Amino acid sequence: MIITKGFYPILGLAAIFLCCGKAIGQDSEDVVTGQALYETYQCWQCHSYQGQGGAHGPRIAPTLYPFEAFSQFVRRTNLMPAYSPNVLSDQDLRLIYDYVRSIPEPPSLEEIPELTF
Amino acid sequence: MKSQDKPLSDIAEKKKNEGKGVNRRQFLSSATAAGVVAASVTAPNKAITQESTETSHAAITPPSAQQEAMEYDVPVGYSAEEAEQYFVKNPGSDFMVDVLKELKFDYITTNPGSSFRGIHESIVNYGGNKSPELIEATHEEIATAMAHGYYKITGRPLAMLAHGTVGLQHAAMAVYNAWCDRSPMVILAGNHLDVAHRRPGVEWSHSAQDCVRVIRDYIKWDDSPVSLQHFSESMARAYKIAMTPPMGPVAIVLEGHLQEAELGNQQAPIPGMTPTQPPSGDTNAVDEAARWLVEAENPVIVVDLMAHDQEGVERLVALAEALQAPVVNQFGRMNFPSNHYLSQAANVVAQADVILGLELYDTWGTINNMRDRVHKDVQRRARPDARVIDIGVKDLFTKSNYQSFQRYFSTDLSIAGDAQTTLPGLTEAVQSAMSSARRASNPERKARWQAAHIRQREQDRDWARYGWNASPVSTGRLYAELWNVVKDKDWALVSDDGQQNRWARRLWPIDKHYQWIGRSGGAGLGYGAPSALGAALAHRPEGRIPINVQRDGDMMYVPGTFWTAAHHNIPMLTVTHDNQGYHQEFMHLQRMAARRQRGVDGSSWIGNELRNPEIDLAKVVEGMGVWSEGPYSNPKDIGPAIARALDVVEAGEPAFVHVQTQPR
Repeated sequence: MIITKGFYPILGLAAIFLCCGKAIGQDSEDVVTGQALYETYQCWQCHSYQGQGGAHGPRIAPTLYPFEAFSQFVRRTNLMPAYSPNVLSDQDLRLIYDYVRSIPEPPSLEEIPELTF
Repeated sequence: MKSQDKPLSDIAEKKKNEGKGVNRRQFLSSATAAGVVAASVTAPNKAITQESTETSHAAITPPSAQQEAMEYDVPVGYSAEEAEQYFVKNPGSDFMVDVLKELKFDYITTNPGSSFRGIHESIVNYGGNKSPELIEATHEEIATAMAHGYYKITGRPLAMLAHGTVGLQHAAMAVYNAWCDRSPMVILAGNHLDVAHRRPGVEWSHSAQDCVRVIRDYIKWDDSPVSLQHFSESMARAYKIAMTPPMGPVAIVLEGHLQEAELGNQQAPIPGMTPTQPPSGDTNAVDEAARWLVEAENPVIVVDLMAHDQEGVERLVALAEALQAPVVNQFGRMNFPSNHYLSQAANVVAQADVILGLELYDTWGTINNMRDRVHKDVQRRARPDARVIDIGVKDLFTKSNYQSFQRYFSTDLSIAGDAQTTLPGLTEAVQSAMSSARRASNPERKARWQAAHIRQREQDRDWARYGWNASPVSTGRLYAELWNVVKDKDWALVSDDGQQNRWARRLWPIDKHYQWIGRSGGAGLGYGAPSALGAALAHRPEGRIPINVQRDGDMMYVPGTFWTAAHHNIPMLTVTHDNQGYHQEFMHLQRMAARRQRGVDGSSWIGNELRNPEIDLAKVVEGMGVWSEGPYSNPKDIGPAIARALDVVEAGEPAFVHVQTQPR
């Protein structure tokens, strides 16, 4: 992952929210809707279906960012195309966030012998 | 180097002697016994080795009695006048084959065409279809890209035989890739220039005044010989030019009449071919570069299209260890072992006070970043005070139309020379310039980079577990599963992992030059499958396992590649990266839509998808005689499938596993 200078403040913001922010509720219906929106808005093209990232988009799940940082990243960013509220509403973005938050941790390295190099 | 001209004062003499029972092949064999230089330019700074080509003709099967009668007698029932109308004893294209043999081409790739029917027949019947052997492709783009891939493994060029008109037009994209990637090949283009010998109809539409013009902007040199002597000299010249850094494709036109006409009493010597020693950087400039590197607090080496062979890798290791400087491999070639502690991620460029670029394809883009926004703003990645040294041959390219030379960058010290050739002198100068105090700092530097390397490898391994159980299959898992099947084999990756999140270079220990093929050069689709097959052909005599991670979009340009694999029994393990679309373009369209604030909810599929209907890639290759399985989208299925495919490859056949994957 290449992190540009402009991204560091977002990471900092994320760290603050991690410490202080409250957990965001993840209603299962919202998660299902969010997953559909994640696919509709093509988030998976850069970030892949489980948010693991790819050659042109960083890993976003399991997300550590609070919604505000996540939103900032989508609306104003050095890396990805900026999605304005005109094409992606705050409400839909929130549902996408709920889905990203719901993606579980993958197995640990100890559980994946294929990743022994 | 002494020229090895060896006049086969030959053909006239031979003709004279034919009536005295001197066989043509005996004559040529004795003449070529004098030897011809054939050395690899990929071993710079070594004494150029000379090999006798004494055996090059000895392998040819002696002619049968029937062939002897055909060559030296008028066939029964024909008058001499009739025989002259119907038969040719000594076609010009036989001599052309002799020249090809002298230059030691292993193979000639081709899609057949009437404009070179003469030499086609000579290769098969006169040359015995050996050294060179014809490799049949279903498209000239395949034939050309195979030559490209073959060179990158062996360091030897192939010849590619095509119609001068329609063939070169088909081949053009693949030639451009080879040009951008500095990969040599000799293109042989059939043409009928003389109207008096053109048959009506197709032969006219397959002829041109200047057939090479269609590719001249991206080849190093071409010629249109009008005699056999001209042909032999131009072939030797073409070979030398192609193989002298900066390397690249060259083209020779094969005049149809010259191929087919009776050679008669023409004198046609085959000149020797002495490879040109690659250019080395100016000594004073190299000494200056060494001083800068030694004085630097944080020297960083960035390398791209440098290593011609394993020796190039070892030379770079020697320089990097002398300086204890990190190496950022941009992987245009396998320049540096991925598991060496000095192999570091690109972000170390930001810390550098001196940056040494070795054969960089894009120096400007190494130092700067341009954001893809409405207004293309630029940020410098490197420190403002970082000095940049560039060693390479890119300033020796002399073409101007196609812009593959990248944006101009004003380096602080620019040295024209083949970097691999220049490295021993640079390393020696570094050793001389290094004070004892500077040398004493090396253990600390080494420890620092060892720790950073371990951290990076651990981070990469950790990232690969995300999406591990995803369906379709994550690209990280794809490479991890592949590795587990091939890790104890003598393997070689014959595709680029750049579109799969660079997982091979991040995860696999790549320490041999032949294990990595690099990029396409011009990023033209239709390179992947055939260049992989050309590389697999190069690996075949070594018994290696060539691994091709095949993109669906690339494959649909050149599906016939897999027929060639089956037809010529070229073992190659193909696993697909099938993301059901032209993914790069998909992301571009998505970016445009977001920028224009419309259509981000799905319009990007239009014009970019490879679904509806879904393509059953396994069935496509099965229909061409290749063992295949899939499609698989469950990650648990792919390990066992790859293992089964490996059994097929180890038995000497191509095998194909269709895996549906995550986008990147």
